[in-house]
Amino acid sequence: MQYMLLIYEPEEHYANASEAFLTEIVGKHMALSAELREAGQLVSGDGLQGVETATTVVTDASGAQSLHDGPFAETKEQLGGYYLIDVPDLDAALAWARRMPVVPGGKVEVRPVMIY
Amino acid sequence: MDVGALISQSRSRVVAALAARFRDLDLAEDAFSDAALTALAVWPADPPRDPAAWLWRAALRRGLDAVRRSKVRTDAVHDIPPPEPTPEDLAMLADAPIPDERLRLIFVCCHPALAPEARAALTLKVVCGLSTERLARAFLVGEPAMLQRITRAKKKIAAAGVPFEVPARAARPERLGAVLATLEIAYAQAYEDAALAGDAADFAAEVLRLSGLLAELLPDDPEVLALAALVRFAEARRPARLDDLGAMVPLGEQDVAQWTERLIGEGARLLDRAAGEKSTGPYRILAAIHGAHLARRESGATPWPTIAALYDALILLRPGPVTAVNRAVAVGMARGAEAGLAALEAIRTDRDLGAWLPWQAARAGLCEQAGRPAKALAALDAALALEPAPAERLYLVRRRAMLRGRPAG
Repeated sequence: MQYMLLIYEPEEHYANASEAFLTEIVGKHMALSAELREAGQLVSGDGLQGVETATTVVTDASGAQSLHDGPFAETKEQLGGYYLIDVPDLDAALAWARRMPVVPGGKVEVRPVMIY
Repeated sequence: MDVGALISQSRSRVVAALAARFRDLDLAEDAFSDAALTALAVWPADPPRDPAAWLWRAALRRGLDAVRRSKVRTDAVHDIPPPEPTPEDLAMLADAPIPDERLRLIFVCCHPALAPEARAALTLKVVCGLSTERLARAFLVGEPAMLQRITRAKKKIAAAGVPFEVPARAARPERLGAVLATLEIAYAQAYEDAALAGDAADFAAEVLRLSGLLAELLPDDPEVLALAALVRFAEARRPARLDDLGAMVPLGEQDVAQWTERLIGEGARLLDRAAGEKSTGPYRILAAIHGAHLARRESGATPWPTIAALYDALILLRPGPVTAVNRAVAVGMARGAEAGLAALEAIRTDRDLGAWLPWQAARAGLCEQAGRPAKALAALDAALALEPAPAERLYLVRRRAMLRGRPAG
């Protein structure tokens, strides 16, 4: 069963982060990805650039579309990356989610992927 | 023969076996209900030798039919049940004793991925068979809201891939913690329910049975045993909790003759079994606190120093306003009203507890004990402004009248 692990973190933590901190957290992600790949459970995963680079396409009630400079919602934590994994059940997905390297205040949302 | 009682006695075991077999709570409940309906019609004339086995066979057949009819549903289920049995397999399956899958079912219904309130409702619905209508009354929500809560939880279990397994050892403490917390919520609800409506004996009886079942399934876990003891101790006091006028009677003033001896004995035996274990968890301390209160039955006096010491230990394991307020009251009784008031003031700044009824009620008691009637009256007024339940309101009004030196009117 596939699950997407969506990583939400307070962005300012990264904006003001030292080089050493960034190297460390990237290293942790690399190690975790390698472990997931080795277990045969990694489908894909990536980090995202900051919300200042985000553009949102908004479709209003009448169907008209417009562009919004920024993320869909201005919240303290923003989506910063994701992993798509394939594991037996929710407990396995949650176990990986707990191991995500996140900064204080970070949240990992676990969502099962729809089955068609 | 009471057909209804026979059916409900078999329910948890049969529903659990069906849920484990089909990996589908709705299907398990529906198949059981169908089988139960047939039983109601057939049993009076033709009583079964083994009611549970009869229901298991009938429900299993219905479940398999339902799976066959809705192949679409099976295809959408990720956690695919074993392949459909041939008629010979079925005959063997049905002849085999009903597998005891109740622990698995409890762990599924109490999965921490579900909100605590939803867990409690779902467990009481699926494991105990309480109706949505009864649960709505107990949890003080409308029936549609309760139905939605249960439906949503079932849907999440199916869609999010909650495994139908007893958790692995490493995950056990957390998962068991979720089960115990669920039972505690269920019991707290039964307790509240009784204070308001007085008709919760049936509801509380189910929670009692559920905690007993868990103690039977996990006989070596001290916290499980302690929780089972705890709900028995609390339930034992039910008959003494309200006076003839419907006012709340505080624990320390209850008539011990009204406490239910049988439940106290059961609880004490469960707690004794937990006592051999080394580790001490919060439920063991809580059960010990309740046990200490019940000791007044024999000694005639509440052992407040013991209770205060137990709260000192509990507050470390389970901090929070409820423990803190109860501890302050115990400290007041054991070490003097000033010490109790100091403990109460120390926690006031946590989340504006001044607007919390138990805090004001405790303050009123401690101020009165400290010989400060004006402050006690102010706290009583504050408590009464916080919309206490009818039984507590009556009690607080009476206390206020006594402090003012005139009878309640």
